[in-house]
Amino acid sequence: MTTTAPETTTDAASRAPEASAPRTTDAPLARRARRSPVDIGLTVWSVLVFLFLFAPIIVILVYSFNNGRLLIAWNEFGFEPYRALWEKPAVRDAVAVSLRTGAIAAVLATLLGTLAGIALARKPGKWALWFIGLLLLVSVTPEIVDAVALLPWLVFLGQDAGLSIFNDGTVRLVVGHSLFSTAVVTYIVRARLVGLDAQLEEASADLYARPLTTFRRVTLPLAMPAVLAGLLLSFTLSLDNTVVAAFVQVSGSTPWPVYVLSALRGGLRPEIAAVSTVMLLLTLAALALVAVVLKRAGDSATQIARTMSGG
Amino acid sequence: MRSLRLPSFALAIPAWAWLVTFFVVPVGAVLYFSFGYKPGIFGTHATDVLSFDRYAEALSPTFFEVFMNTLWVGIAGTLLCLAIGLPVAYWMAVKAPANRRGLLIALVMVPYWTNFLVRTIGWQIILAPEGWMSQLLQTVGITEGPLEILYTRTAVLIGVVYNYLPLMILPLYVAFDRVGPALREASKDLGANRVSTFLRVTFPLARPGIIVGLLLVYIPLMGDYITATVLGGAQGNMVGQLVASQFQAAQNWALGSAMAVLLILVIMVSAAAIGLQLWLVSLPFRARNRVVLEASA
Repeated sequence: MTTTAPETTTDAASRAPEASAPRTTDAPLARRARRSPVDIGLTVWSVLVFLFLFAPIIVILVYSFNNGRLLIAWNEFGFEPYRALWEKPAVRDAVAVSLRTGAIAAVLATLLGTLAGIALARKPGKWALWFIGLLLLVSVTPEIVDAVALLPWLVFLGQDAGLSIFNDGTVRLVVGHSLFSTAVVTYIVRARLVGLDAQLEEASADLYARPLTTFRRVTLPLAMPAVLAGLLLSFTLSLDNTVVAAFVQVSGSTPWPVYVLSALRGGLRPEIAAVSTVMLLLTLAALALVAVVLKRAGDSATQIARTMSGG
Repeated sequence: MRSLRLPSFALAIPAWAWLVTFFVVPVGAVLYFSFGYKPGIFGTHATDVLSFDRYAEALSPTFFEVFMNTLWVGIAGTLLCLAIGLPVAYWMAVKAPANRRGLLIALVMVPYWTNFLVRTIGWQIILAPEGWMSQLLQTVGITEGPLEILYTRTAVLIGVVYNYLPLMILPLYVAFDRVGPALREASKDLGANRVSTFLRVTFPLARPGIIVGLLLVYIPLMGDYITATVLGGAQGNMVGQLVASQFQAAQNWALGSAMAVLLILVIMVSAAAIGLQLWLVSLPFRARNRVVLEASA
């Protein structure tokens, strides 16, 4: 078998590596020709790890079609669990609470984080060190510590200090969800603007634009991809927030993850998997949007990876 | 007509105020509570007499075991993530076709952004003694009886490795990707084989990414509450659960606060130790590399 024709399939090339030219301009061909046991081992290992990463997600997907009474015990295939979405008010309300608080917390965190990120990137100084220290502290503090700290404080504000707004379930969840997200948005916006030269803003100032105009017409559009990415990431972070939400929530406005957590004690039903599947699709849609936004802004895959793992 | 002059950090004030009000103040209160005590059955905390007694109590043998257990899970889990994730990140950045890298990153992202609690429940289904994995292993004949992993420390370890693995793979990928093919090829052209290219070029240059990965995994892992709750049961206790139970079931905020403060201290000290250790280890390499570079220049 000779593989001199340029149309050779890559399969044939890998079977007869010596026959194909060692360094052609065709990159994948050359790569395959150099396969060694180490490469094969790495590939096999990676495939196994990807299977590991997807195992529980596939299990949840499959079990969301379990027409049984208990999630763990497979009974028969069916769409019964998905009906809970509109038939069970408790489930429906929990999802609605999650979406509502997620949206509000995302807008709030994006507002706070964008302004702070711009300040960090454009007006660095001694204060920035302190501020970054605070953000780091927010990021490394375990969620459970946030949770146990925030609950007595919100109770104090709502009852002892008479600020009845803090007795409201939505407000409490928004406060709890916004802390970590604010830090994340700040990191992302700062990282984007630091990478961009301040010359455009200087030019705008030289052309007699007032600071506010420069901010609105130059700085903000430059930061926009990061702002949008931050918004969507905050939204998904909020949908994911379980620990803080479980502590600060008020009965009557239970978000979806807390509903699942409390169901854990009484035996999980298949509808948990069904709603989780729907929520997963929602999250993935938001993340795909983030990727599209960043890609259109000219980010490479690596930059997108960095942004999406939290700056 | 210059209107009022704002300080340079003016734009950061809203975020700063928000974080101070809802993070610094409440966490500061926890720090304060930790020096108090629990007055009687119905009180949660009192701070009229301040002492370090709650810290002594939190480190008494009953609870100390949970701290050691958490540290064990934290260190073992982080090292396992590194061992599992490093080859994958290297493969993604160096071996996988360049046009598929975006897709591969997306594939690492999907589990990371799936609801934390839900994916942990996925493992509960997989590891359950009456689950399909258990039956499969018995049918194939690998295990005699049903799988007895759920609600043990092993289950918690599997859970945390799973939950935090993407946080290891992504920074490692970024680090390996940044090294780029040029330096590897230069090393090869200078006669280095694959192993020494990896050990003396790729790996040292990727070290910052490794430190980031270790910290990104270790810090949230130590404070984990969900994984241990879903998969650990009574045997797999971690400090996060201990803090929660003091605030909820035991209604002892003083003791719970002391545990929370200790948890943060343990995380900060050991994270700093990880960073310092790796930095110290890298010093001799750096010195040697500098000599080599100068000699070749």
